[in-house]
Amino acid sequence: MELLKKYPKLFQWLFLLIVFFALCFAIDVPETYKFIRGQAEFIKDPNQSTYTLFGKEVRYYAFDVLWRLPPLLGWLPIWVNDSLFFLLNEWMPMEFWNEDTQEYKTRPLVLQITRTITASMTFLIELIREILLGGAKTVVAFTSWDWIDKNPWAELPGLPWTIVAAGAVILCYKLSGKGLAIFAGLVMVYISVFGQWKPSMQTLSFILVAAPLSFIFGLTLGVMAYKSKRVEKALYPLLLVMQTMPQYAVLVPAMVLFGIGDHAAVIITMVVAIPPMILLTLLGLRAVSPEVIEAGKMSGCNNWQLMTKVLIPTARRDILIGVNQVIMVCFSMAVIAAFIGAKGLGWNLLLALNQLNIGLALEAGLCISMIAILLDKMSLAWANKQEDYFGNLTFFQRYKNTLFFAGAVLIGAIFAYAGSFLFKDSFNYFSEIPHNKGISFADFWNKGVDWIWDTFFQTLKIFNTWLITEVLQPMRALYLRMPAVATITLVVGAGYIIGGIRSALVTAGLVLFIALSPWWDRALVTTYMATFGVIASCTIGLTVGTLCAQNKFTTKFILAVCDIFQTFPSFVYLIPVMMLFGITDTSVLIAVIVYATIPATRYTVEGLRSVPPALHDAGSMSGVTKLQRLINIEFPIAFPHMMLGVNQTIVFALFMVIIGAFIGTEDLGQYILKALSDKAGGGKGLILGICVAFIALIFDNLIRTWVDKRKKHLGLA
Amino acid sequence: MLQDRYLNKLKELPEPVRQFGGLVTLTFIVILSFAILNIFWGGGDELVRKMKLEEERIAQEQKLSKLISSLPSGILVPHEGTEGHKLSEEQHEAVCNATKIVSQRSVMGANLTNFKAKHIYTINGNDIKETFVKWNKENKKCFAGFVVTGSNVGVNETITVSGEVLSFFNTGIDTRVYFIKNF
Repeated sequence: MELLKKYPKLFQWLFLLIVFFALCFAIDVPETYKFIRGQAEFIKDPNQSTYTLFGKEVRYYAFDVLWRLPPLLGWLPIWVNDSLFFLLNEWMPMEFWNEDTQEYKTRPLVLQITRTITASMTFLIELIREILLGGAKTVVAFTSWDWIDKNPWAELPGLPWTIVAAGAVILCYKLSGKGLAIFAGLVMVYISVFGQWKPSMQTLSFILVAAPLSFIFGLTLGVMAYKSKRVEKALYPLLLVMQTMPQYAVLVPAMVLFGIGDHAAVIITMVVAIPPMILLTLLGLRAVSPEVIEAGKMSGCNNWQLMTKVLIPTARRDILIGVNQVIMVCFSMAVIAAFIGAKGLGWNLLLALNQLNIGLALEAGLCISMIAILLDKMSLAWANKQEDYFGNLTFFQRYKNTLFFAGAVLIGAIFAYAGSFLFKDSFNYFSEIPHNKGISFADFWNKGVDWIWDTFFQTLKIFNTWLITEVLQPMRALYLRMPAVATITLVVGAGYIIGGIRSALVTAGLVLFIALSPWWDRALVTTYMATFGVIASCTIGLTVGTLCAQNKFTTKFILAVCDIFQTFPSFVYLIPVMMLFGITDTSVLIAVIVYATIPATRYTVEGLRSVPPALHDAGSMSGVTKLQRLINIEFPIAFPHMMLGVNQTIVFALFMVIIGAFIGTEDLGQYILKALSDKAGGGKGLILGICVAFIALIFDNLIRTWVDKRKKHLGLA
Repeated sequence: MLQDRYLNKLKELPEPVRQFGGLVTLTFIVILSFAILNIFWGGGDELVRKMKLEEERIAQEQKLSKLISSLPSGILVPHEGTEGHKLSEEQHEAVCNATKIVSQRSVMGANLTNFKAKHIYTINGNDIKETFVKWNKENKKCFAGFVVTGSNVGVNETITVSGEVLSFFNTGIDTRVYFIKNF
């Protein structure tokens, strides 16, 4: 009893593990169980059991419940799907005026709304695309094709690349100075010279629609959540799920509602980009000190003035960090949205990957990454820039950048005009370098891949075979061998030990949702892949982070590296691994490890650097060595922060595992990918996405609860 | 009263013991819930038996498809003839058991000699209700047939046409009845 009192948690964990393993050993694998015969295989087999709930028939292979729970939520994806179709095709038919046919047409309300949104998005994208690349569709929208035929001068000319490049350089100079300006110039020249101008501008056009709209909606909802507890409470679960839901999963239901193309991509990007904007707006507004609010009220501000003149300007930095996040999400979605027909670099990258043309994929990937880094740096510079409200500047000082830009537009236009004479018989390179006329190193990279394969084929094959047969397959078998009752007992028990009954109930709810869905086996495979990635990432991240946190220079260096890597859209990580390991599970797992190591490293460095210097001094005064100080002082203090890194690592790993479905895994991601090409896949895609989000939320709940308790214990909270 | 007394006693227990007790209770509840669910939803022995039969059927089908893939594509005949690959007796039985499709060619051919069947077949939109292919162990012959049903001048009629299969057609993926001798 005394021991139990002295080490209560140890005994609880021991008990839980004993129960878990006892259940694992006591429950045999049913004779008829085969992974391939998962409950989600929608085939008609006379041996399947069936039940009907809410009018939906669910077919499944019944096992001993202790082994696998029946898919009692199997009706949910069918129901969601049917509801979506009902909403789109049958609910509330109304008469709407059709401009084209000049008559009233009966259409269901939701269909009309989605089509109106679609049309507005398409118009906005086309408008920006035509400003950047030229065209006639926008003018036609207000006139007609006949009018354009009669007045060809009205067709919008595209902005020459020289003007856009000059504009980017001037803007970067204004925001951050020479360094960023030079980088912007190099990026623009690279894009143009490598013939990626058109797809880059296509991508940019859809980001220029999605990002501002996400900002407006995110800011509005963030302000509403700040003003009303009810709104915040209503948004909170949605935000949590959206933060952990793989972006792939959002594609499917959105595709059902809005169809495919750039407009649907914008809407999906908004759905994914709004949550971080809301969270950062809320964070910024909450951080405004009560004194500032009081001062505003004392000055006689009404609510609107208080919000627009006091709160938002004070929270400006956090809100602009939100803008930065929105832009980053937009870029990561640029590739994923290509799955539903978004044009641009993402589409080219996807096409190249599909053809296994690694060289082309690398060029497109580099381009996306460089633009993403540029926009990231620009938005961060904007966030950190302080307005000089009191400077007594002359007209030229105040407007010099605008004047320079006007000059650049003029010179660029003259250049482009001169180019039309200079390159009379060929392309006007001063206006736009076409894709097939730009420099391309694709062949060089492809030959490089061939060389790698020729030279290291045996080594890579041996490693690949070893990893798959000796590590991955046994680990996968181990996960699939866990009976449902053992897994659920373990998760719920862990919730109880870490956070008490409340945490146990939350984790029970989340895990039961997955267990009762038709995809428990696939969820286990997803978890196994993520676990492998997380273990490897945490080992690398904690080691590298700890080593780099030892001095200021390495800290700065590694954080900069993390910044750059974090800016790359997740899909880009697949390119080098496919170069090295081909289309195998190893590729996915290595991409997972690389991608998920970033937060593990960053949080380790930040955690260790946040240890107060006074504690270092106290340690040194007590005569501890550097290693003793690290182990006995720095690690315990930094551990809660490092655990938040582990939490992020799990989310990143899950995201990458799902994206890995593109290479060909057999987890939940594969089903999401399948749902994309399934006419009735909307409900499946959504529920699968929720399953992935819930896996992440289980870990999130456990880790955050533990971190909060630990911080309180250490007096850090 | 009794409840209060036990509740107070529980409350008086040290925190670690209470937490441990809570964990044990929670674990018990989870396992018990599963046990109860198992009564209503668990798959019984009957299902295991059925699934084993299904496994055997799949294994048999795979064996047959392996045999089919070993035979040449085109016409397969059980007797000596000028056209097609001659099947051995063993192969003949295996192909007969593996064949599920009665081709329209064979239906049309068989109908030629059965006027009434042809008539019902034609006026009801070439509708065939059922087809069958069976191996006759005694004669060591393969028999196939089909059932046509439909309205014939307001009267519902059903006719079964069957006969010996004189040739099969191997597509490389499956085998089909090619000619039925029903005369």
